Amino acid sequence: MKALVIDDSRTMRRIVARALEGLGFETLQAEHGRDALDQLEGGAEIDLACVDWNMPVMDGLTFVTEVRANPAWRGITLMMVTTEAEHSQIVRALAAGAHEYLIKPFTTDAIRDKLDLLGLVPVEEMA
Amino acid sequence: MTATVEHDQVLSIAQEVFSAMVDGDLGLLLPWEGDLPEIDDALVAWVDLHGEWSGRAVLVTAGPTALELARVLLDLDPRDEVSPDDLVDALGEIANVVGGNLKSLLPTPGTLGLPHVGDALPPLDGAVRSQHLPLSWRGRLLVIDVWVTPLVLKEKP
Amino acid sequence: MSLSPEAFAFVADLVRRRSAIQLTPGKEYLVESRLLPLAREAGLGLEAYVTRLRTRALPADVDAVVEAMTTNETSWFRDGAPYQALREDELPRLVAARGGIGRLRVWSAACSTGQEPYSVAMTMLDHLPPGMTSEIVATDLSEQVLTRARTGRYSQLEVNRGLPAPLLVRHLVRAGTEWELSAAVRQMVSFRAHNLLDVPPPGPFDVVLLRNVLIYFDLATKRAILDRVLRVIKPDGVLLLGAAETTLGVHEGWERATVGRTSVYRPLAPQRALAPTLPTPRTAAPVSPSVPSRVPTAAVPLTRGAVR
Repeated sequence: MKALVIDDSRTMRRIVARALEGLGFETLQAEHGRDALDQLEGGAEIDLACVDWNMPVMDGLTFVTEVRANPAWRGITLMMVTTEAEHSQIVRALAAGAHEYLIKPFTTDAIRDKLDLLGLVPVEEMA
Repeated sequence: MTATVEHDQVLSIAQEVFSAMVDGDLGLLLPWEGDLPEIDDALVAWVDLHGEWSGRAVLVTAGPTALELARVLLDLDPRDEVSPDDLVDALGEIANVVGGNLKSLLPTPGTLGLPHVGDALPPLDGAVRSQHLPLSWRGRLLVIDVWVTPLVLKEKP
Repeated sequence: MSLSPEAFAFVADLVRRRSAIQLTPGKEYLVESRLLPLAREAGLGLEAYVTRLRTRALPADVDAVVEAMTTNETSWFRDGAPYQALREDELPRLVAARGGIGRLRVWSAACSTGQEPYSVAMTMLDHLPPGMTSEIVATDLSEQVLTRARTGRYSQLEVNRGLPAPLLVRHLVRAGTEWELSAAVRQMVSFRAHNLLDVPPPGPFDVVLLRNVLIYFDLATKRAILDRVLRVIKPDGVLLLGAAETTLGVHEGWERATVGRTSVYRPLAPQRALAPTLPTPRTAAPVSPSVPSRVPTAAVPLTRGAVR
């Protein structure tokens, strides 16, 4: 399994990537939505994208909309990982095509629970 | 209407941020008890909020505490050097997460600016400090402030 | 106020023996912050409190310390698969058996801070046909966790734990820094204090969840608990256990069925037919009266929710 971690904070990218690697993922990183799209257009193949909302150049909601508009990327699971915590913002992200939504701050266990919901936890990791 | 943020809400947000992101457990960020020492070599991280309720979430701490915080967040060895970029990024991200959660207390969603880090806080026109929380993180002083621009000022033509 | 290395080592050892949780050096602050409220309640300083614990420990004090040190958030829809089995197989089966009308009754035993019964309530709201309703009886030994569960309010960190985002926005709203379950969900669940070795809440139940509890009891006690459940479950009802638990080799009154990625348990019929005056088989295993009062008060099995 391969995941792309999209966040303008390198600290947060490192925290999310570390959690995913602990669950057996290979990880790539992008600093904003445009950077992530460039990597996908360049042929990067991923199963999961963890997407921050507020980022310079291209925000996470725009990225999610762009990915959902391209049938070639239909297989990618999109999870927002953001400090945006309002009810209405979660509704917006789901409407744009995000599959899951994790609010910062989160624990490693919370990432694992979400991936479990999405059927993305490697089999040998399951109880 | 004037939306307010209560002291306990700020404390609860700060404690959740630290327990989940920094410490991996509750109870390591507590209200500071006793006299407040001067903060030497202070570092300030802040994020601005815009919307029905405009303001700023601010984190202030001494340089060595900020280094320690960055080390824990980035999972670095005690002997590892923390680069200036990592220090700024780590402190800014804590302010960002605290600010984002404060924003969610607003009656209607506003927007969150990108985080900044410096050695002094630039002025925010018309803002007043509405909450001031001196906290003890593993015995070290760390201050979280919330500044609010009163709506009456904003609405003047 | 800080703890001496000897006192820390004592507490760490106590917690390790009672809960298998390791408190390594460096977690002194954690121990201090968790024990300070207990020490204050006892009118003692931290060091004096630990000294009292070491010299003449009351069981209740030891339990309180272990509970304070071992709290953790509970997940919603814990383990996923049992809820999938409920949604996709067991509910359709029960709905068909009831002709699509009436009320399904659920017992969520050892419900901790409520994530389990509320997860079931959301499942029922979203998947039962219009002609059916559901009532969920949720029990736990600890009044403290029940008080929290009844509020139907959860912290940001708690809603992050396994609650699917579509269900979060459908069934909860923000309330300050927390999230609150809708009245529709809360109204389906009633909470009451109950010891698993006492007479069960009045049945009959269509579904019983007894998850990640049996592992903490010895064989005789497991058997006694499963026997009590058998008395209140409907003949075509279903029992859901934790992933590491089974009735096999514990109680012969149940049969295991594989449903999707998980196992469920159903009452076996024959013995009922043979002994109409005794609705459930009796077990020979005696229930030690010392077991129920000791084991459930330990924090780990029955009060998994965060205690703040």
